[in-house]
Amino acid sequence: MSPNDTRRERLYRKTAQKVQAEETQILDWLRARDDYRPELDYFLAQLADRSVRAVERRSGRKVVRLLCNQAPLELFLAAGLQPLRIASGSFNEASFSVHNWPALTCPLIKGILTGLILDPNLLTGPWVIPSSCDWVVKFWEMRLEVSPLDMTANDKELMFLELPHFKNRPKSRNRWLEEVLELKKFLESLTGRKIRRPELLQAVSTVNRAWQAILALKDLRRQGRISSVYFSAVMGAFFLGDLDTWSNQVTALCQKLWPAENPAPGIFLAGSPIFFPNFKLPVLIEEAGLRIAADDLCSSERVFPSGQVLEDTSEFGLTAALAGRYHQGCLCPTFGDNERRVNNILSQTEESNFQGVVFTVLKGCHPYDLESVTIEKTLKKHGLRYLRLETDYSAEDRPNLLTRLEAFASSLKGVRGVS
Amino acid sequence: MSVNVGLDLGSTAIKVVLTEGRKILWHGQTPTAPGQESLAQILTRKGLTELGLTSRDVGQVASTGYGRRLVGFAEKAVDEILANAVGLFELSGRTARHIVNIGGQDVKCISLDEQGRVTDIKMNDKCAAGTGRFFELVARLLDTPVSDFTDLSQAATESITLNSTCVVFAESEIVSLMAKGTKKMDIVKALHESVARRVASMFKYSELNEGLWLDGGPAMNKALVTALADELMTEVFVLDKPQYTVAYGAALCLN
Repeated sequence: MSPNDTRRERLYRKTAQKVQAEETQILDWLRARDDYRPELDYFLAQLADRSVRAVERRSGRKVVRLLCNQAPLELFLAAGLQPLRIASGSFNEASFSVHNWPALTCPLIKGILTGLILDPNLLTGPWVIPSSCDWVVKFWEMRLEVSPLDMTANDKELMFLELPHFKNRPKSRNRWLEEVLELKKFLESLTGRKIRRPELLQAVSTVNRAWQAILALKDLRRQGRISSVYFSAVMGAFFLGDLDTWSNQVTALCQKLWPAENPAPGIFLAGSPIFFPNFKLPVLIEEAGLRIAADDLCSSERVFPSGQVLEDTSEFGLTAALAGRYHQGCLCPTFGDNERRVNNILSQTEESNFQGVVFTVLKGCHPYDLESVTIEKTLKKHGLRYLRLETDYSAEDRPNLLTRLEAFASSLKGVRGVS
Repeated sequence: MSVNVGLDLGSTAIKVVLTEGRKILWHGQTPTAPGQESLAQILTRKGLTELGLTSRDVGQVASTGYGRRLVGFAEKAVDEILANAVGLFELSGRTARHIVNIGGQDVKCISLDEQGRVTDIKMNDKCAAGTGRFFELVARLLDTPVSDFTDLSQAATESITLNSTCVVFAESEIVSLMAKGTKKMDIVKALHESVARRVASMFKYSELNEGLWLDGGPAMNKALVTALADELMTEVFVLDKPQYTVAYGAALCLN
């Protein structure tokens, strides 16, 4: 082993320790809060070990790594596989990547790439990558820089789902259906097992149960009875084990007697996703005297696009319906016709009882950044208060963000310039 | 007599305003240093003494600024955006619709409605570009006090562009300009234009109404006011003592 290898290994070990400490710190903090309930243990335990091995052990299925949430989860489950959305909210993982990647790379991608370096089990194995934003499209190229693969392994391990970026065109829908049918074949090739109607129906039912559990959890949060930091933790564990168990645990959590409603002004949180352990914004929003009533983050309420209504229950009919739902129902800003996103926020104004919208943009997350302009204009036209916050995974902008959130809270409470 | 106290614990200076109702009775400032609570206390006591009052005459105390939570004797901590909005809206005769506050380490752009409610907030994030610190750094490089910047800028004869607003890059750019023999006054004028461009980029021109006020210590620099007015193509208003609006606003929040 050369001295350089030794140095590199020390660097990796040190970074892994920092990541571990970062995660432990937030988990300890979550357990130490006054509103902590033992029913949260299950989710926090899953967050504590998000390794591929742990997820395979807990789910009893082989893991397929997934970037973004446009691939129908039901297909993975019907194939007997476990979809694992690969993400990172770790400041230490994202900041380590400056050694390898451009500084302005999306923090999420930076974090994931470091995760691949630190955990070889994450690196090797099948991947499904829907081509959402440019960062995701270029991800595999960067992944090959971390560790090259020969062409055979590359073809065997990777499925790119080419996402048509205009939802309302019939041509796009047909192209997407072709992609989803390809995905079905790819998943079948991993297990050597055909995905048939009974397995598909079973998987649809599993995901629908998860959706019912999410609806109950959303209700709890809407009423201000569960903190958003716990909501984020529960949603963060979505992919980390058996989905039926997750749904049962969420249902049990919702049945727990929670404290009285939180009277703080409610806000809608929109924008770039928030992944464990980066709970900076939910924490600051609470510190500023606000509460998150609802959100449209793809890491949270938008983890998959609602439950599936069964009409044509043939094998092809089910696959086509899933393809349609994951395409039409997706509110990702990478789509060129995404009016549904702002309409979704507006339609929830009354039912979720929020007075303003906080829009978060991760530095380098250009689609959200661009879409924030249109969303701001539309929301303000409808009389909603709006605050845009651009941030990354570091803690150094906490005081600055808190100041803005506190001022936003004052404006929601109707504080005027002159009494 | 019941006097309210507004404390603004900023990154560069601690400002204290003593008020009776909406009337400012006294104001004073001291540079920020370790022991901010004691410094604020000493300054408050000084103000009370000059007014012939004692601590028994103090009604309530509100603190604001980055150090607002460091003051144990304050009854209320107000975020500086709200304090700024409340203070300037009142002092502007309720005409302010936009505030640009240039502080020691940040720039805030606040928009208000006719009632003085905050409708929009923009802030620089981690970078010191365009802040009071930026002016201090250039002053050090040019070996000239910031208080001379207005006169120097007005005496400029040539138009040059300072491309960097980043404190670090601006330093090397200014050193390089000095090495080329560029006159100090031309550099200072370019500095103001560069800061004005940076501040203007935080506003959407289409949403800019009349009634833009500049406050914070750097607002006393008339050359900066001119540069900002040129860049935003609107009149920029400044109070006589623009550094006290936030402390005054904090005191008003007690009413």
